[in-house]
Amino acid sequence: MLNLYDYIFYFFAIVILGSSFVVVFSRNIVHSAFALLFTFFGVAGFYVLLSADFLAITQLLVYVGGILVLLLFGVMLTNNIVNVEIKSGTMQTLPASLIAALIAGLLCGIFYVSNWYLVPTTPELLNNTTAVAIGYAFITTWILPFEVASVVLLVAMIGAVIIARREKAPEVE
Amino acid sequence: MLEQVYNSLQFIKPELILVGTLLVSIIVDLIFKNKKVVVAFVILGLVLSFYYLTFLNSINQLIFFNMYAIDPFAYFFKIFLLVATIGIVLFSVLSKEISDLKSREGEFYYFLVALTIGMFLMTSSTNLIMMYLAIELTSLTSYMLAGFMKEEKSSSEASLKYVLYGAFSSGMMLYGISIIYGLTGSFDLLAINMAIADGVSSLALLISTVLMFVGFGYKISAVPFHFWTPDVYEGSPISVTTILSVASKAAGFSMLMRTAKIMFIDPYAAPTVNDWQIIDSVPIVEILTILSVLTMTLGNLVAIWQSNLKRLLAYSSIAHAGYLLLGVLTMNNEGYSATLIYFVTYLFMNVGAFLIVMLVSNKLNSSDIDSYKGLGMKSPFIGVMFALFLISLTGLPPTAGFVGKLYIFAALVNKKLILLAVIGVLNSVVSLYYYVRIFRNMFLRESDIETPEIKLSLAEKLLILVFAIPTIGLGLYFAPLVEFAHASVEIFSGN
Amino acid sequence: MNLILEPIVKILIVLFINLTLVSYLVLIERKVSAYIQNRIGPNRVGPWGLLQSVADVVKLFFKEDIVPKDANKFIHSLAPVISVVVAFSTFAVIPFGNKITLYGNEYNLVIADVNVGVLVILALTSLGVYGITLSGWSSNNKYSLLGGLRSSAQMISYELSMGISLIGILLMTQSMRLTQIVAEQGGYIFGFIPNWNIFLQPIGFIIFLVSTFAETNRLPFDLPEAEEELVGGYHTEYSGMKFGLFFLAEYASMITASAFIVTLFLGGWQAPFIEYFNFSPFVISLLQLSAFAIKVLFVLLFFILIRWTIPRFRYDQLMNIGWKVMLPLSLLNLIVTAFLILINIL
Repeated sequence: MLNLYDYIFYFFAIVILGSSFVVVFSRNIVHSAFALLFTFFGVAGFYVLLSADFLAITQLLVYVGGILVLLLFGVMLTNNIVNVEIKSGTMQTLPASLIAALIAGLLCGIFYVSNWYLVPTTPELLNNTTAVAIGYAFITTWILPFEVASVVLLVAMIGAVIIARREKAPEVE
Repeated sequence: MLEQVYNSLQFIKPELILVGTLLVSIIVDLIFKNKKVVVAFVILGLVLSFYYLTFLNSINQLIFFNMYAIDPFAYFFKIFLLVATIGIVLFSVLSKEISDLKSREGEFYYFLVALTIGMFLMTSSTNLIMMYLAIELTSLTSYMLAGFMKEEKSSSEASLKYVLYGAFSSGMMLYGISIIYGLTGSFDLLAINMAIADGVSSLALLISTVLMFVGFGYKISAVPFHFWTPDVYEGSPISVTTILSVASKAAGFSMLMRTAKIMFIDPYAAPTVNDWQIIDSVPIVEILTILSVLTMTLGNLVAIWQSNLKRLLAYSSIAHAGYLLLGVLTMNNEGYSATLIYFVTYLFMNVGAFLIVMLVSNKLNSSDIDSYKGLGMKSPFIGVMFALFLISLTGLPPTAGFVGKLYIFAALVNKKLILLAVIGVLNSVVSLYYYVRIFRNMFLRESDIETPEIKLSLAEKLLILVFAIPTIGLGLYFAPLVEFAHASVEIFSGN
Repeated sequence: MNLILEPIVKILIVLFINLTLVSYLVLIERKVSAYIQNRIGPNRVGPWGLLQSVADVVKLFFKEDIVPKDANKFIHSLAPVISVVVAFSTFAVIPFGNKITLYGNEYNLVIADVNVGVLVILALTSLGVYGITLSGWSSNNKYSLLGGLRSSAQMISYELSMGISLIGILLMTQSMRLTQIVAEQGGYIFGFIPNWNIFLQPIGFIIFLVSTFAETNRLPFDLPEAEEELVGGYHTEYSGMKFGLFFLAEYASMITASAFIVTLFLGGWQAPFIEYFNFSPFVISLLQLSAFAIKVLFVLLFFILIRWTIPRFRYDQLMNIGWKVMLPLSLLNLIVTAFLILINIL
């Protein structure tokens, strides 16, 4: 018997799957980026269903509000202004689809066959706000990964600037 | 909770100093126009880090809520990585490619520090999230370093190829990690080990292990995850090629070895000194064997056809990853310590060989094998030294390379893996063929065009000797190295 | 049943008030600008021009809807919808009053009391950029595209300082729930200054205010539609009701932004000194509601005054201010706030 929760789950699942099909198969790269918007929304919906409110909002804030905008930005700049055709067609269709089908089948298979580690859901787990708990986890148990992540981001940022910076013409001395 | 954080801090002083060096160098780079100041700061930081590292030699414990292991195994690799990085910083100072970078020169050096931080984290992490972050830090800096000469088309191409393969393999690895988390409910290697020993669905475990090995295989450039290697090694600045082929590979191996030992050894079996009881639900040895045989055979066979020395050395380094995997797949103390010994010998001979290729290409602007014709006669010092490194890479006595191979094959034979040992020896014979081609060009062929004599500065000669002396020395007197390696295979495993 | 009916009623009321306010905001803007420029402004339709808005809406409805030939039809139509939806839905988490008791039932005067309300608003505002960017792209017009690109760059740049300037408040309140943030702003500093965040976080307030101007694309940050350079910017190729939707979205997001500023910095529905009088709870609720409305109207008026008095920035100036002034300043504000909290002053 499906209850409301299940219906919402399947709704988001269909949104995610449908939009990611468009992302992969669309020939127009802006359409792909646009469909990715719905994929991200669907994932955020999943987080809400799992009562991970903070994660859901962060998903929207970071992926939809930040990353995807930059992606669209890049696509628009290159596609419409520079007149470079971005190739997003498919090559080697047959072997690729065979391998993809094989891997998909295998993964689906193991999801049915395996015994997954299940955390018992308690009312506290469902109703507590996650933001505070995540905050504490970041400065206690997970402090090392948290700090390492900041080093990773720093390095990535400097790296991006180095790649993007236009080199000055050699100075005449 | 917070006490443990404070207590843990004293054990990561070397890492903290490196992070500090990174931050200070960024600011120093902004202030000073002369980039040699940055080099000085970087070397100072590395040496200081080395000094604090030496205090950690006999400590064996987990810090930061079981995320980070300070143990003799990590100690060995950190010493190794620091020596390699300091060597490569000195190496880069002599490199024309790097000093031609002008305004970006300072950034090159502090990216080397960032790379070292990433590799340090790789050797010590005992938590899948930490491991992933460490790999990302190492990879991101490597992409940058590979593409550092962005005016050169080949360097940008190398960087882009590296990024594409890297992104793909780290995605695969992350997927594997997520499956493992789903099976065991933990990111902690020790906890995962207990969960696996208590039994989890074996098919899912197999698939997640394979997916994780994609990530490791990419870092150590094992076949079939090696496709990026030749292009990246050829296109990058030579000092970056060197650090990728030695240090980054070592970090990848240390992570692979730690994971293999902690995750897949039966925690309920009686602890034995040499033979580890492997949990039978995962065919870890079989996976490693396939990887190893493929890697060394393909690396050696393809190397035969290469005419560019950078590409040739790239394939030879793929082959060496195969030999190193032979040591890992024995899954016992003897094999692990053989791998460590091999790494030290590999450091000196490989960096030495790349150093000479770099110096020659500084002068001749070419790494083509034909430009080495008659080089041995014109510039005997370079010729002899290059010959020495190549003999060592082949694994002939009396060089360090021989000692490394000897211990690996001995470990295989003791484990009754005679067939693998034979495959390894056959591969060495194949490798002899393409190394000999270089000898022949250097000493027995006259050059078609007038090759200028290559004059080296004193500093350059000294640096070559720094790598050449251990290459001979370790071949003759290797007892301390062996002892150090034996003492270093102790990996923190919880009991 | 109440669980579903109650929010729907609230949504309808809020939507109705917002729509009415939008139409009169346009009129107010025209009147204010007229007075600033020493003109009279609209005065023909109805007494004092009060029905001008109705006339405007009717005009927009009957205009021809023109879609450029090579435009991407689907996205072209979708973009204004995104803008409007985002502008209105943000209001859902803003508390416009305390509790009110009607016919013996107590109602919370907020549509959705989410515990990460601040983040919800930031997330939804960051979605607003899609409406503009996609409209600019789909029109297949270089002016539109430039407008769209400018707006996305501008909004991304100012989102950072906007978010960081809020963290100071979050640190003091220790909650991201907007009702909690408003509740904390009751009481007084030194016994006579209302305990509003504008007095505790003055730098944060200024940064947030400036960023809001940038986020809503209002002058002096209206580069996405800079008429002199870009014809009409991102909505050059829009006409009829689709243009009307953009118009609606602009004013609606102005209202939401004002309400957000009031909630975060100006005490929300808190009406100071109200407890010194012996009002009945129902009257107090009404007074708080009107306090909220007055504050919002005040901020809106400020928006309009700024628009008609300050000239537009150049694009590079805009980016410089965003990255080199606002961002460091907001980080500094955050550090100082955290330090003051550490030594127990705040």
